[in-house]
Amino acid sequence: MGGKVSCTLGEVKNRADLIVYWGGNPAECHPRHFTKYSLMPKGRFVPNGRKDRTMILVDIRETASAKAADIFLQVRPAKDFEMITVLRALIKEQPVDTKLVAETGLTLEELTDFAQRLKKAKFGVFFFGMGLSMTRGKHMNSAALLTLAAELNAFTKFVAMPMRGHGNVTGGDVIMRWTTGYPFGVNLARGYPRFNPGEYSTIDLLIRGDTDAVLVLGADPGATMPQPAIDHMVRVPTIVLDPKVTHTSKIARVHITTAVTGISAPGTAYRMDEIPLPLKPPLKSPYPTDEEVIRRIYQAVAKKPPLMPPVRPKVPRV
Amino acid sequence: MELTVTKDATCTFCGCVCDDIELHSDGTKITNTKAACVLGKSWFLNHTAERLYPDALIDGKEATVDEAVEAAAEYLYLAHLPLVYGLSNITCEAQRESVALAELIGGVVDSHTSL
Ligand code: SF4
Repeated sequence: MGGKVSCTLGEVKNRADLIVYWGGNPAECHPRHFTKYSLMPKGRFVPNGRKDRTMILVDIRETASAKAADIFLQVRPAKDFEMITVLRALIKEQPVDTKLVAETGLTLEELTDFAQRLKKAKFGVFFFGMGLSMTRGKHMNSAALLTLAAELNAFTKFVAMPMRGHGNVTGGDVIMRWTTGYPFGVNLARGYPRFNPGEYSTIDLLIRGDTDAVLVLGADPGATMPQPAIDHMVRVPTIVLDPKVTHTSKIARVHITTAVTGISAPGTAYRMDEIPLPLKPPLKSPYPTDEEVIRRIYQAVAKKPPLMPPVRPKVPRV
Repeated sequence: MELTVTKDATCTFCGCVCDDIELHSDGTKITNTKAACVLGKSWFLNHTAERLYPDALIDGKEATVDEAVEAAAEYLYLAHLPLVYGLSNITCEAQRESVALAELIGGVVDSHTSL
């Protein structure tokens, strides 16, 4: 997600006086987010910590995170996009359709108050979770919220940041961006990168049966993907690198056990605000690291004759 | 076993990537954590340096890493459109190698982000 209006968590800690969590439950999924980065810490421009900040939670149900919120706004399921659209109108003092407002499950007063708070903040931040980005509308919801954040900068300073989940998913985006120019779903079959989500995304490739070998690392799609996708991984040779024998390993032709990232494998991982941090593994693994094994597979493939025929020598000019 | 203390270790269990964790370990297990939350703590305590799984499996049978690497290379080399997928629970260094491999085998590289 290059080009988004964002910042580091250090800036949130030192500046943010309005914190909005949208479609996420940090109290249970990112337990130290409140205390370490967003709500509780005393910062340079928010010297009284929690007292200087307002927290608003937008979600479809009252999760454990609602207890930490000053205001909880319960949006009707799958109406996030509509709600963001209404807010975009309200901050610009445009008239809004009352029918559209009713659809969100919130009242015009609640939304007007929300819009006012967004504009009045000195430094506001949207943290959005999978409740926004993985429900109806998907990346269009994220795009709408990022647009709202960008538009709020006409009035104040406002940023948005996705609450990324497990492990080093942020690193995956960053690494693919700097190596190929695109964040995920990159097809290198023609020797140069092509990007087309929906065509080159894993689920689609598997369900359509477009791919004829799968290398899985640092993931267990055999446990989480829809059955037709798993069926295809059974059909073609699947190779798994993982510290454990996973569900995917059981349907794979080849499994290689590797060291555990951050526990027995050293390296770098990215925090959700795209800050790279070094890992300090306390243990030594009897297994090789993923990095080592991939490099060895690379060398083994490189020894074989090239996939493309060599370029013909240039025809000499006469 | 000798107790070692690792200061300012990094937890990769969630996107917070807390880098202020103290880990106590006895060489095979992490015995105690400080500053980690419940999720981080169970992540650290649940992994050991023991040899709990075979080095490698080919068609469900135990194999050496060398054999498995060769088999993997052969499958990926023969495929018309191989897919390299996942990249979440691995280091940036391993992710970079994965992209290089995808380029060499002329495949697609994709992560959790596309889901
Ligand atoms: S200690 Fe808890 S909050 Fe911090 S990275 Fe680990 S799981 Fe996330």
